[in-house]
Amino acid sequence: MQENQTIEAIVCKGCGGEPRLSAQCKLCGGAGIGVAGTDGFLVWEERVDEFMIALRKARRQINAFFHLGLLAVVLVFLVLFAWQANRLEDLGELQTLAFWVSGYWYVTLFWFACFFGTFLVFRLSEYSVESKALPNWGKTHRQLEHEEKIAEKKAGFRFDVAPYFSVTARDVVESAYNLAKKLQRTEVTPQTLFAAALASPSGGVFMVRLGMQFDKVKEPITNVLLADDAGNPPVHLSRDAKKVLALAYADARANQRRHVEVMEIFLQAFKNSPKIQDVLDQLGFPPEHVVHVGEWIRLRSKLKEDHDRFQALAALKPKSTMNRAMTAQQTSLLDRFSEDLTLMARNGYIAPAVGRQKELAEMLRGIESGRRSLVLVGEPGSGKTALVEELARMMVEENVPPELFDRRLVSVNIAQVVAAGDPGMAAERFLSLMHEVGVSGNIVLVMNNIESLTGAGLGGPMDLAEMLASELDKGYLLAICTTTPQAWTRYIERRSLANKLIKINIPETDYEDTIKVLMARSGLIEYDNKVFFSYAALDKAAALSERFVHEKASPERALDIIREAAVLARKSRGKKTFVTADDVAKVVHEKTNIPVESMTTSEASKLMNLEQKLHERVIGQEEAVQAVSRALKRSRAELREGKRPIANFLFLGPTGVGKTELTKALAAEYFGSEEAMVRLDMSEYQDKASVYRVIGAPGDDRGGLLTEAVRNKPYTIVLLDELEKAHPDILTLFLQVMDDGRLTDGVGRTVDFTNVMLIATSNAGTPFIQAEVTKNTPLEQIKRGLLENELKGIFRPEFLNRFDGVIVFRPLTMDDVTQIAWLMINGITRRLAEKGMNFRAEDSAVEELAKEGFDPLYGARPLRRVIQEKVDTALADLMLQGKVGRKDTLILEPGGNIRVEKAPEL
Amino acid sequence: MCYNIDVNSHLKPLGKYLLIDLLGSIAWFPVWWYTVGLKRQAVKAVRALEYRYQAYGFRIWIRNFFVPMYGQYDFGGRAISILMRFVVLIGRGIALVVEGLVLSLGVAVWAAAPTLFLVFALTNLSKGLFMEQVKFLLG
Repeated sequence: MQENQTIEAIVCKGCGGEPRLSAQCKLCGGAGIGVAGTDGFLVWEERVDEFMIALRKARRQINAFFHLGLLAVVLVFLVLFAWQANRLEDLGELQTLAFWVSGYWYVTLFWFACFFGTFLVFRLSEYSVESKALPNWGKTHRQLEHEEKIAEKKAGFRFDVAPYFSVTARDVVESAYNLAKKLQRTEVTPQTLFAAALASPSGGVFMVRLGMQFDKVKEPITNVLLADDAGNPPVHLSRDAKKVLALAYADARANQRRHVEVMEIFLQAFKNSPKIQDVLDQLGFPPEHVVHVGEWIRLRSKLKEDHDRFQALAALKPKSTMNRAMTAQQTSLLDRFSEDLTLMARNGYIAPAVGRQKELAEMLRGIESGRRSLVLVGEPGSGKTALVEELARMMVEENVPPELFDRRLVSVNIAQVVAAGDPGMAAERFLSLMHEVGVSGNIVLVMNNIESLTGAGLGGPMDLAEMLASELDKGYLLAICTTTPQAWTRYIERRSLANKLIKINIPETDYEDTIKVLMARSGLIEYDNKVFFSYAALDKAAALSERFVHEKASPERALDIIREAAVLARKSRGKKTFVTADDVAKVVHEKTNIPVESMTTSEASKLMNLEQKLHERVIGQEEAVQAVSRALKRSRAELREGKRPIANFLFLGPTGVGKTELTKALAAEYFGSEEAMVRLDMSEYQDKASVYRVIGAPGDDRGGLLTEAVRNKPYTIVLLDELEKAHPDILTLFLQVMDDGRLTDGVGRTVDFTNVMLIATSNAGTPFIQAEVTKNTPLEQIKRGLLENELKGIFRPEFLNRFDGVIVFRPLTMDDVTQIAWLMINGITRRLAEKGMNFRAEDSAVEELAKEGFDPLYGARPLRRVIQEKVDTALADLMLQGKVGRKDTLILEPGGNIRVEKAPEL
Repeated sequence: MCYNIDVNSHLKPLGKYLLIDLLGSIAWFPVWWYTVGLKRQAVKAVRALEYRYQAYGFRIWIRNFFVPMYGQYDFGGRAISILMRFVVLIGRGIALVVEGLVLSLGVAVWAAAPTLFLVFALTNLSKGLFMEQVKFLLG
């Protein structure tokens, strides 16, 4: 946020920058303070006071009045002349010199009209243009480089920035002055400038995009302004305000703007006013958001300016495949298998790329280095195509190194070239294409996904990579290839083709750059869908896509999301609505199944009651239920660390006490259904080779059982049953999952585990638990005993240490088993109700079942068997014998007897 | 508290300033026309000519003078190409010269215009006929 404050302002030695003194200071000519810039020492020299404001206003009005009057006189004179000339009997007179100098009154008026006309031209060109274009506006890279070189020479000279401010920007400076005066402040400060910019039309657009309401911020901002020094006029521009104006100029120049606009003042005033930053932050507008929205509005108008310039230059580029030197040849075969990117750019079909200056410079350097051909290596969606397209735009402007001058950029569709099926034919076709490129001589080839040249997608003998390498070796061809990091490592890196190419890594964009791309590209999406994006929507798309969407790289995945969100907003609320953060969240939720919307009240109450709900299914085990529900609350309130799974739990305890049941209950209650979990029975992963089943064998695109499941369903529970049975190597894999929340599969894809709840169950140490429970040892002590002694030989300490909670499930008591028996009986009641029968059990009968099914060693499992044998079997018999019909009531009595109460006859 | 803007203290200097501004512009007009304005016209003409020069691609054509057109590398192709390039360059050269002349004419017209218009206007004014007609028109 403080970036511009690092640019040191230099204060005049004569007046110390003090506004009142500097007005008369001869040393600085009234500037007082300035910053060093490429055009010299940047200062704001113009006086801003009532007189100057009134003068500017009066001048504008009088000029308009005067010019209109003058124009009217000229027109009246000309009309009179035309009217009189038309009445001449002999129009041939007009051709004689005598006619023009004889002193006819209307001819005299004609000459005066012409003379006044020239005066009007003079007035219009000298008195109506109010701001100058910035010195670097519309210049090419080369011209700019030259300017940088001579910057030192200019450094010693004062450079007044005021004439470069647009009319609206000047209006803002003046309204800041009026505001300070109205509030009886002695100085115009950065705060005043900010407030004035906010109240301007551009400020209005800003507030709409940010979702800010003027009424709500007006008072807090006024209070900030009132904290400045009070006093009587004259009002001066403070040192900081002058610095802000000079910085606004530097900012506009750095962004190659035509004039200094309101948004530059706005941004610089904001960046240099900690008080305003604090106030807006408190109101819910963090400084980054404010700056981003300011930059967004600026980017919009800059894109418009760039577009106008681009069109003028594009007119020079040939419309056909022929180059301007006319050395090229017809390339009929190539045209069939390719598209001409420069032609597309020339005709306006390619949008400009934003950012990526470093990679672009690297590309141009690579081309100029003489080794020529390049390969852009980046994940799908990271913007390789956008970079190539930007190069096409630069080639249209001819703002490129000589190697690319007067050439066209042609993208070959490799898939079509190799689609012949017959390797021989594909090779022949490929060589013919190369031949055309060679003889034509004006073509720069773009080959996307060059791994398809190696037969990567086909697995056959279709290998044209060596052929391309040898063609590149001949040096007649300049190619720009793209590929993914995986394909590069797997198919290309160790081949001779790799040596012929300069590798340029195209990393994913980070959050900041993604936001910029979204800002630049949102315009077209808005236009297509007739909706508007709020800043919050773009911010959410950038943040959520980075966290939750992993199929593509940024910025493409974020763009996909805002595209869908725009359609969603249009369909649900109609045209001309705003796309909000919630729309974006909804799209992400639908794509990933992860609840990312702001929490609704029903969801919050569901979370608050989660413990109670879980207890309806899991009897006893308070500690376990509490731990999992707390972890979920933390996760949903976004209070957990972002880079780990939602929670890692180890459930320890004897068999049949509810470890798996709790996990199922959780899946059903919170993740939607009992099936919303990835369950791995670790007894199936006892040998070393089973690691490949978990993460996939190297090079196998199908991936592993676990990694694929989580990749497809990132918001889920991963249940590792009977963990102690797994091979130690598999446990090592999970070390990384628990620590970093990610796992790399056999193909090298990183799978995100940060939205997973990892639950491992184990009945290691059961005899110890049972023995200690019998001795009535507190659970906490049992747990310590387990960790310190019992589990030591089974799990490594660093593994146990990574669990957020090791939860000991205590053996079930008789009471627990009775409750479970009731749960099971209720289950039977539900099932019979579906068949139209009523069922109930007498208390003593259930107690009898519980007693019979109680086994401290095996938990609730024997109970299930008892109920199956005693109740389910008896019921089945009754049904098969036809002794029970719909609407009958079945009553379970002690001794396993089931009595049938027939429904009354109809 | 209320702060009254002292309008009168500003009106006078403002009026003076604007009067000077307006009258000054009449004095500044001829000077501007033959210095700043003329230079601006000349620069515009030169830029337009440069743009035409670029559009004709002279530099590209001269650099590729011996490079055969349409990739015809055989002797015949080369010969025809050199001839064609020569002819086209001459043709475009002539076109550029004509365009240059037209543009220079524009600059000359700019330079001549106000003086010429004024001279004609004053000549007409000084003729007795004008006064007579005006008297007649005014009745």
